[in-house]
Amino acid sequence: MKRQSIMLVALLAMTLFGAAGAFAAPAAQAVLTIGVDQEAVGIDPHIVTAFSSMRRIDLLYNRLVRLDDNFVVVPDLAESWDVPNNVTYIFHLRKGVKFHNGRELTADDVQYSLQRILDPKTASPGRSYVSLITSIDVVDRYTVKLNLSAPLASLLDGLTSNNCSIVAKEVVEANGNLQKVDGGTGPFMLQEWIPDNSMTLVKNASYFEKGAPYLDKVIFRVIPEQASLLAGVKSGDLDLATISDGATIRQASKDSKVVVMSKPGLNMRIFSFNTTAKPFDDVRVRQALAMTLNRTEILGIAEFGMGKPTGPVPVAATQWAVPVAKLPYASPDIAKAKKLLADAGYPKGFSFKITCSATYEGGLAVAQVAQEELKKIGVTAELEVVEWGVYIDKWVKRDFATMIELRGGSGEPDRFLYRTFYSSGGVNNFLFKDAEVDKYLDLGRTQTVLADRKASYDKLQTLLTEKAPAIFLYCPNENQVMGKQVSGFKLVGNGSLFYVTYTKVKR
Amino acid sequence: MFRYIAKRLLSLIPVLFGVSIIVFFLVRLIPGSALEMYMGTQVEATPEQMVELQRIFGEDKPVPVLYVEWLGRILQGDFGYSLRTGRPVLPDILSRLPLSLELTLLSLMLALLIGIPQGILSSLKRNPFSDVINRVIGLLGLSLPQFWLASLMVLAFANFSGWIPMGNYIKFSVDPIRNLRMLLLPSLAIGIGLAAVIMRYTRNSMLEVLQMDYIRTAKAKGLTKRVVILRHALKNAILPVITVAGFNTGYLLGGAIVIEEVFALPGMGRLALYAIYQRDYPVIQAIVLMIATIFVLVNLVTDLIYAMVDPRIRLDDGGR
Repeated sequence: MKRQSIMLVALLAMTLFGAAGAFAAPAAQAVLTIGVDQEAVGIDPHIVTAFSSMRRIDLLYNRLVRLDDNFVVVPDLAESWDVPNNVTYIFHLRKGVKFHNGRELTADDVQYSLQRILDPKTASPGRSYVSLITSIDVVDRYTVKLNLSAPLASLLDGLTSNNCSIVAKEVVEANGNLQKVDGGTGPFMLQEWIPDNSMTLVKNASYFEKGAPYLDKVIFRVIPEQASLLAGVKSGDLDLATISDGATIRQASKDSKVVVMSKPGLNMRIFSFNTTAKPFDDVRVRQALAMTLNRTEILGIAEFGMGKPTGPVPVAATQWAVPVAKLPYASPDIAKAKKLLADAGYPKGFSFKITCSATYEGGLAVAQVAQEELKKIGVTAELEVVEWGVYIDKWVKRDFATMIELRGGSGEPDRFLYRTFYSSGGVNNFLFKDAEVDKYLDLGRTQTVLADRKASYDKLQTLLTEKAPAIFLYCPNENQVMGKQVSGFKLVGNGSLFYVTYTKVKR
Repeated sequence: MFRYIAKRLLSLIPVLFGVSIIVFFLVRLIPGSALEMYMGTQVEATPEQMVELQRIFGEDKPVPVLYVEWLGRILQGDFGYSLRTGRPVLPDILSRLPLSLELTLLSLMLALLIGIPQGILSSLKRNPFSDVINRVIGLLGLSLPQFWLASLMVLAFANFSGWIPMGNYIKFSVDPIRNLRMLLLPSLAIGIGLAAVIMRYTRNSMLEVLQMDYIRTAKAKGLTKRVVILRHALKNAILPVITVAGFNTGYLLGGAIVIEEVFALPGMGRLALYAIYQRDYPVIQAIVLMIATIFVLVNLVTDLIYAMVDPRIRLDDGGR
């Protein structure tokens, strides 16, 4: 009897201790799992261009300045800055910012990073944002001075780019480049990367913003199918997913289990002309097409209405964008379009090819709607649907008559417009050369008084719409789908995941 | 027998050499290049930057020269670095091999477990009802597109966490139960199609064999139906099924690309798909060589199994 009661007491004690142990166990980690449809192609901020890579860099690195969710330039690593004249910028850095390897960030690091971007050997895509910098001076430990060869009004906006992140020199030198390693100061640090599967980031406990980030871990999972991404959020395997397909977003918005965030983005859907290919070398023909395409209809069908019609400056950049209603060809005018075609020598219309791809950026749906609409003026469009790699190849070789494109616009007009429409612009695949457009592009980038700049860009938007090297259609929405357990996340129109820094997950 | 195996393995050399030439030149005929994909439509580079980029992406020399250089490195075991990720090619491919192997084996097992019994049953029963069922299953299995079935499964199981890998793949060595649970649906998606094929082959083969004299002899000897079917009929009927199964296994391993893509499984098929999309030449070349090797090995194993099952087959005579 006695033995039995001892056993019973022992059993009871073990159970109590076990239970107490469970209560005393450390609190579960706050983990956010993000589903993305593309793997990052390397994570060196000065080298990569892919949007997928940028999303990781959003969390691993900081820049001198960054954009908030209204596209306003705000401090990041630089607390403040002075612009004594339009070719000199002085940045005052925050004190006590630590790289993930523990070392403090100083003006030398800013100098090193900018020099690396400017170095032709790096082949950095960020170079064009800062190409007018002639020298970078370290004034003191926390002050750095940039000297430009000519005024560049978009410099600050350019410095917000992930391609202008500040990196640790010793990490670059130890590894050749930062494609697979982490040399940043950002709110999260790289813990593990299994390509085409997952990337795990952990909280940077010494991040310069006190209290942030709130999450302990962020895991990126690569899931290429849009339907699978949505399924993941519904089942709870994913907390957040970047979904671009309109049909899937519509499905998600009907589902009470998930939350959909949508906002007009900075990406722009355009109908591009090769302005050297007949008959598009005649501006009247381009204008006739511009007068025929119905933005609202294309947006409604190709993107399920999830976006906003736009002019040459993304409509979300409210500071600069001229309202579409005030630009030429705001609504279709079929009669006028037919007359223009007749004047140009095509009274019976003509036929041509639209190059597109079945990928999201390749805009096949847009091409199909455009094809239908152009019938109204007797123009026959043949769709040349190609694989994405072939699409890029044709773009590079300018081997097309017209193309559907998705361009990355910018909140700061110069950054996007100059390289795209200047006669020697780096991504001017339209082969468009116009002296008047060049004049206003040069003016806009050097003027420093806001009212003057606004006047230049207003004029430019009208000019570009009239001369139509491309027809500006709409800006699709940026979308994120998330479970109800996620709070504190804000969508930024350029797709940036920066606000994961302030995100919390409740399980 | 070992001489036979050695001879077959030696045949790998000319096969791989031929494959290497074909893949190296063929893949560069596709429009587009890794460098162009990297630049996309948003990046501008100065002429000096382009020269440097072309050197980095291995586009600065004529193709035959590049082939010879690549071949030389391969023979020393250096498969180069991915143009897309910068990581060494071979370790990445090898790390995905176990998943593709497991998926192939599971699909094959499911296909055999479903197909062979079904095939036997449908060759025996004169019962029209079960015959119809079998025929319908067979037809569906052959006609349903794998990707459609896979997508349906994803949608259907979306609300059940843990049954679909969803990028959250857990290795067998880490948690075998969870691993098998996750691979069940993908294996089914692949296996159903193969099961239908195996079912038909088994059924036809059985029907033929059951007409044979030795079966009548066995029945006359008074052996039970089960012994007749399983020990005498099946053993003979199984031979063409082995051939079919072996042939398909090579295909399966080569990449259940669509299934891997829909279920977000980090296998070799998906790696090959992305490498092709991105014109990642070193990776494409290495994977094609690996698949060619696997094909030859699988064919060898199939022939060996065939010889084991049928003692009449003499390997050295080429199976005469």
